[in-house]
Amino acid sequence: MYLGEFEQVVLVAVLRLEGEAYAIPIREEIERVTGRNVARGALYTALERLESKRYLASHMSAPLPERGGRSRRYFSVTPAGLAAVKASRTSLLRLWQGLEGRLEP
Amino acid sequence: VSNRPAPPSVVERFLGALLRSQERRDAILGDLHEEYCGRVDAGRWRAAAWYVVHAAGIAARILTSELAGVARRDDRPRLPANTGASMISTLGLELRHAFRAILKRPALSLTLAITLALGLGANASIFAMIDALVLRPFTMPDQDRIVFLSHTRDGEIDRKETVSPADFLDLRAQADTLEHIAAIEWWDANLVGRDEPEAVTGFKVSSDFFPALGVQPGQGRMFMRDEETLGRHTRVVLGHALWKRRFAADPAVVGSTVQIDGMPHEVIGVAPEGFDFPMGAQVWAPLAFTKEIAERRRSRYLTVVGRLAPGRTLEEAKSQLTVIGERLEAQHPDTNRGYKVRVYTLAQGMLDVGLGPILSLWQASAIFVLLIVCANVASLLLARGAERQREIAVRLAIGASRARIVRELLMESAIVALAAIPAALALVWVALALLKSSLPAKMSRFVAGWNEMNIDLRLFAFIAGLALLTALVFGIVPALQAVRPKLSESLKEGGRSVAGTARFRLRRGLVIGEMALSLPLLVACGLSILSVNQFLNGPQGFNPDNLITVQTTLSEGTYGSTESRWQFAERVIAGLKQSPGVLRAAATNNLPASGSNNSRFIEVEGQPVPTGEDPFGASYRAVSPGYFAAMEIPILSGRGISEADRENSLDVAVVSKSLVDRHWPGQDALGRRIRMINGEWLTIVGVSGDVIHDWFAGRNRPTFYRPMAQAPVLSMAFVTRTKTDPGAVAPTIRDVVRTVDPKQPVFELLTMREVLRDRTTGLRFVAAIMIVFGGIALLLAILGVYGVMAHMVTQRTHEIGVRMALGATQRDVVRLSILHAARLTAVGAALGVVLAVGLSRLIEAGLLGVISSDFRVVSGFAVVLIGAGLAAGYIPARRASSINPIVALRAE
Repeated sequence: MYLGEFEQVVLVAVLRLEGEAYAIPIREEIERVTGRNVARGALYTALERLESKRYLASHMSAPLPERGGRSRRYFSVTPAGLAAVKASRTSLLRLWQGLEGRLEP
Repeated sequence: VSNRPAPPSVVERFLGALLRSQERRDAILGDLHEEYCGRVDAGRWRAAAWYVVHAAGIAARILTSELAGVARRDDRPRLPANTGASMISTLGLELRHAFRAILKRPALSLTLAITLALGLGANASIFAMIDALVLRPFTMPDQDRIVFLSHTRDGEIDRKETVSPADFLDLRAQADTLEHIAAIEWWDANLVGRDEPEAVTGFKVSSDFFPALGVQPGQGRMFMRDEETLGRHTRVVLGHALWKRRFAADPAVVGSTVQIDGMPHEVIGVAPEGFDFPMGAQVWAPLAFTKEIAERRRSRYLTVVGRLAPGRTLEEAKSQLTVIGERLEAQHPDTNRGYKVRVYTLAQGMLDVGLGPILSLWQASAIFVLLIVCANVASLLLARGAERQREIAVRLAIGASRARIVRELLMESAIVALAAIPAALALVWVALALLKSSLPAKMSRFVAGWNEMNIDLRLFAFIAGLALLTALVFGIVPALQAVRPKLSESLKEGGRSVAGTARFRLRRGLVIGEMALSLPLLVACGLSILSVNQFLNGPQGFNPDNLITVQTTLSEGTYGSTESRWQFAERVIAGLKQSPGVLRAAATNNLPASGSNNSRFIEVEGQPVPTGEDPFGASYRAVSPGYFAAMEIPILSGRGISEADRENSLDVAVVSKSLVDRHWPGQDALGRRIRMINGEWLTIVGVSGDVIHDWFAGRNRPTFYRPMAQAPVLSMAFVTRTKTDPGAVAPTIRDVVRTVDPKQPVFELLTMREVLRDRTTGLRFVAAIMIVFGGIALLLAILGVYGVMAHMVTQRTHEIGVRMALGATQRDVVRLSILHAARLTAVGAALGVVLAVGLSRLIEAGLLGVISSDFRVVSGFAVVLIGAGLAAGYIPARRASSINPIVALRAE
């Protein structure tokens, strides 16, 4: 199964955040690193889609006062998710091989 | 801690409702909350705006992704039905389905919408009339503070002109629950202004009239109490329209003097724009009583209105006036026995007694039309259900819920009904324009609120509500019917299921219902046409052909003496007789069919009135010699009024046959004597035939005629019998009157036929509307029969093919179908007869009792209906008979 482009971005961002990944930092991480604007709604649907594909797992934190007594949903990449990112990365790298001259500045 | 910032809770709750699980709510709402708190420092409102925008963005994204997910594939677990997200998403989906289904059958949908628009339009037009004429006929401010008083016995229906001067003065003095009480008396004002003399609608009113109605003067002032005394009463307030028309809106008119009825009247004020109460009045003068009139209790001719005192309620006024009425009854038992003071709202009191039954007849008819429309639409939907049976069965088989399919079908109905609203509004607009233009201004001023009939927000709400209600009513049965099929049956190729039979039975039931509902409408329609015809062409007691009439009201100021009035009449009659084309001419105080009447209490010699009872009121006419000949009213015995009956000769009277029948049944009346109360004895010299003075209230009313020379009147009418076309003499008549007195205005210069037509305006109105209703009903009923029969032929193609293959002739097949149609229409008509008879009282009341529905009329229209039904059934029957058996059998 292929990963969509945005799905890859989300998965990688979760990986980079290492245990601190819930929607707000994920979005901030993506915006910071890639410089692109991420719609919150799009992020939530992507996260849910990835979870339903079992590439992401989530657990709820204890309720927090700064969230009006609500929990955070922390995401982590499952082994299947990691495998999917790896596969996707590998295939992209293969595709890019030999094009360095043209692609790098 | 207690003042921790929180995002807008409404938005939060809305978004929360879209999120199905607790975890999602926590995650998403929590995130938003967290970010919101981070932004609150930059400004609370900014943060809130940010929250709203992003919550909406998330909601939209979630909704669309879910919609897409539902539409794309159904591999996800079924959504729980009670959450917002699934409700909204499936609702959108169902709406789309419904729209698609409607657009798939454009012809059917259009037929449905047009049929519905007819029904809605008919109902809304009647609603607009009732709203304007009954519910809100006047435009005065604080109408709920204005009351209307009547003084009547039980069972009397008139409310206007029921209070006597003495009783009015007592009421005004005693009732403190009312702040202002005012009496109103009709006044034909002859206005001589700067040009042509003109008869203007005027009213004499008590000084409290304007304050009672809460009306402020537009110019100048209104009346004072001391202007109610004779001598100081020659003041007038002009109507705004009259002021603009005759006096070019000149403010200097206030304070000047105008000639009315030959007397100078000082203009003290101008009414505010638009005020023309009552009945299009344009001149008001103070109502002043002579000492003698102020003591009258038997002449009840005043209309009384009042205004509730501050803080007092209508109930308090009612109970106080009841007590005052009882006191007056005890103090004046000979005149007031049985009379009660009744209090109404202004709208109730001023409502024309004839209008209620007519409007209820119309409303009932409109509801019938709507029911017929519903039946027709339901029938069409059932037919469509038959076509879609397989589609629905398939959807049910692969797991669609019945509730959902019913919902979709109902949505289709609702969409069609909503689509009918603009068409219905257009119909109402046309109908109201037609209504307004068809009633001449001289009639419409009597109907308060007539010109206020309009399309407004209330009407729109009424139509929209009715449309949705109709959608539910006509949609629910076919929708429930549609989801009933036994799946295995419907899915079989060519399967004819039990449900099909049930559906067909339902359609037949609907058609029978339509037939039954249209018959009363047809009967009402037929009766109203017969009434108008009877009115116009039935016996009148005189000959209305080649007769032209004109009316005039002499001014008391110019014609103070009785001789001068009679001289005026004599000179006009002489002038008319000499004019070319004129056969005879005469004068009377009151024309038949003129809408007004004069009556006098009479006493018959040798038949004293028992004490405590009112004497008999007979119609009273003062006529010139030759009146009977000119009108062609037969003299049954004795003689008519002659030239010999002068002021100083014997006081005589001619009486009508009905008066003889009342007082001397079977005897000779010649030589007997009658008199008006306290009047001279009149010797009866002749008996005349009866006249239909008024088809509504005055057929063959006992009447006595006096010589006008002995009883000259101010208000008179001239009748002229012509050799040929009476209309051609009209200019001559105007000239004759002008020659006699150039300042004397004439009005109602009309042929007798035109007078009769004018009197039937209302009735012709009823007839026209009933024809429209009856026509729609008949058309829809015929369409209904046609639809069912056509459907039956299609359904039974196979059976008919088999019959024909086995030797049935074309005639056999036609007979089979026609018999079927005959059964439907006969049952429908039979039920219709029952309904029509049941409703006949309403119909008769609506037609003012001019004609009563008898069995011949009802059965006649039943035959018409059955005939139309059979004709509608014949076309499909012909088609059935031309079925080629081979084709029919191969079609399987």
